Amino acid sequence: MFPIVAHNELAPKVHRMSVKAPLVAQKCKPGQFVILIIDEEGERVPFTVSGWDAETGTVDFVYIEVGKTTNQLGTLKAGDHLAHFVGPLGKPSEVDHYGHVAAVASGYGVAAIVPILKGLKEKENRITTVLQAPDRERCFGQSELERVSDRLILAIGAIGENMSTSATQPVRKLLANLAQSPVDRVILMGSLCLMRVISEMTRPYDIKTMVHLTPLMVDGTGMCGACRLSVKGTNKFACVHGPEFDGHEVDGWEVLMARRCSYADESIFQQGFQCRGCSQW
Amino acid sequence: MSEEKGPTSAHGTAGGKKSKLNLNRLEMPKQTPEERKRNFEEVATGYTFEMAIEEAGRCIQCKKRNCRQGCPVNIDIPDFIKHLQGGDVEGASRVLKRKTSLPGICGRVCPQEMQCEKTCILNKKGAPIAIGRLERYIADWERQEGATTIPEIAPSTGKHVAVVGTGPSGLTVAADLALLGHQVTMFEALHVAGGVLMYGIPEFRLPKEIVQREVRYVKSLGVEILLDTVIGINYSLDELLNTKYHAVYLATGAGLPMFLRVPGENLNMIYSANEFLTRTNLMKAYLYPKYATPIKMGKRVAVIGGGNVAMDSARCAIRLGAQEVYVIYRRTRSEMPARLEEVENAEEEGIRFHFLCNPTSFISDGRSNVAAMELIRMELGEPDASGRRRPVSITGSEYIMEVDTVVVSLGTSPNPLIASTTPDLKTSKWGTVIVNEQGKTSKARVWAGGDIVSGGATVISAMGEGRIAAMAMHQHLAE
Repeated sequence: MFPIVAHNELAPKVHRMSVKAPLVAQKCKPGQFVILIIDEEGERVPFTVSGWDAETGTVDFVYIEVGKTTNQLGTLKAGDHLAHFVGPLGKPSEVDHYGHVAAVASGYGVAAIVPILKGLKEKENRITTVLQAPDRERCFGQSELERVSDRLILAIGAIGENMSTSATQPVRKLLANLAQSPVDRVILMGSLCLMRVISEMTRPYDIKTMVHLTPLMVDGTGMCGACRLSVKGTNKFACVHGPEFDGHEVDGWEVLMARRCSYADESIFQQGFQCRGCSQW
Repeated sequence: MSEEKGPTSAHGTAGGKKSKLNLNRLEMPKQTPEERKRNFEEVATGYTFEMAIEEAGRCIQCKKRNCRQGCPVNIDIPDFIKHLQGGDVEGASRVLKRKTSLPGICGRVCPQEMQCEKTCILNKKGAPIAIGRLERYIADWERQEGATTIPEIAPSTGKHVAVVGTGPSGLTVAADLALLGHQVTMFEALHVAGGVLMYGIPEFRLPKEIVQREVRYVKSLGVEILLDTVIGINYSLDELLNTKYHAVYLATGAGLPMFLRVPGENLNMIYSANEFLTRTNLMKAYLYPKYATPIKMGKRVAVIGGGNVAMDSARCAIRLGAQEVYVIYRRTRSEMPARLEEVENAEEEGIRFHFLCNPTSFISDGRSNVAAMELIRMELGEPDASGRRRPVSITGSEYIMEVDTVVVSLGTSPNPLIASTTPDLKTSKWGTVIVNEQGKTSKARVWAGGDIVSGGATVISAMGEGRIAAMAMHQHLAE
């Protein structure tokens, strides 16, 4: 059993949970994920870690209540226990000295990208971060991002309604200004739609653009193939070959988005979670 | 007719009087196909005491004891049958436990027709003793009695052994070494011990309670099982060897699913058999929503492949409510690797077999869900390396079949996690770990067995390899 040591609401339906799992905390690296099971009847659900402390043995992640299991997670309190907690799974993100890195984060990514940016900061990169949130009320994690970024740009607006307030707008500006301020690498952690759109925006400029993919998973250790995707024409498993991939090499976005939502009708209750134009709705 | 003399005279000595051979091999009662295709309960319900005694009574206690040689773990089959003949189930259980820690499992999923029952002398008359059913009866009797027979455990040697993976091979090694007095710790990546016995083989063929009971038995021998712990992540193999463990046994199985590599294979509603079975069995999706893991099932399901896993997938699909289930196999019925018994069970449950055809692509419904597949007809050509005739596609014979769910069951290969984090562990080009006859790997103090070595075989062969490696490890630890 894995005790919950802290559980805070960051914004409506957005929570940070901190779990005592020394074995996981000892080996965690930026960009990796854990799989948890709430109780013996529970499903295995992956969450990208947003922080850890090897000394106290705790691991943090941020989640949004979107369905059955995340709603149930939302009811748990510090002192309660999770039945299972395994990780760190997946390959760590690539962290090196690149120069100027532009990062875009939305949703869980606002928190989960922080360890990656910290690592990049230690490698003396200059970091420009774009934080996208649906509205002011649901904007969280601003101060943590400020701490690890040289410049933080907020993109606050309703997704799918007024796209001019989406992260694509500041990214377009950054790309228009490449002559004065070159961007050497782009890191995206947010919704599939957003990562796909921005990957397409950076492609003509040939800027390496890393995406963090979160397809459905069952075991999370390379056994089931539920999280497979096509990368440069060959199948990769997000759980063992990813979750970080080169966004310009991912060639199955349509299918990836459809597979991501294949159980949406079963477990996702929150209608606001629908993406406009998604084939599964 | 010289073969007949042996058994007849042997029977004369054992039974004291000459009688005719009884060739009425006793069937096990089964749920009817109509009944069982609507539930996940066990298909065969097992012998009663009277039935077990009757079937055991057919054994002539021949001198040759070929059945024992046919068993990968050399169970003293005639001896346990002899106890049964005298009505002493407990004695039979003791004999069984000397050689297997998992009788409830072996009695159900071993391919006995290829092993002990194949070499049974009565098989010459086409009616071998139903050894598997008797083994199952004894294990089930013990479970119902609630009294577990625990063999004597040797005094502690003070040596620590790590067993990686809690499937049949790992459980065998753990039990064997624990009985020899070593302190064994098992590591399991998933949240439940049992490996393929839990995630792969369905409830209706191997009830999970039986697997867990055998796991509890292994624990009762003093074995510690650490769940949610991935070797290659939480601890590297070298970390195990550099801490308290004197020896390591790798039994992580073959978990990596293979795909056809044809266009459209990633469409929605195309599962690997591993995902399909893991959701259904390990996560108990058939009990959704009591269990939180869902599984999406269409109406027309195609299962690609001809092995036992394909049969399991097809039979799960029908139980999950599919209206039509097809098994698509590129060779013919006689080349199918699945056990005949399971093929027959599947046929009885209404599963339809399409032989000599192979998918060439999957077609989308326009919303990235599978709507159909294109198949090409095959014919059998010259025999290949496996001795089976190679399937060759017939040019221009493509045709379309409408399906809304596909389960790809083409086999698996070992998960590269440990090999990739252990540079000095030699592997083959298929990713299997290379070992000698004793299961010893290229790395000092490390042995391996089961599917990580074979690439995919049976529960009992995994146990057999475990038994041999355990002996070698014991010798090493005693030095």
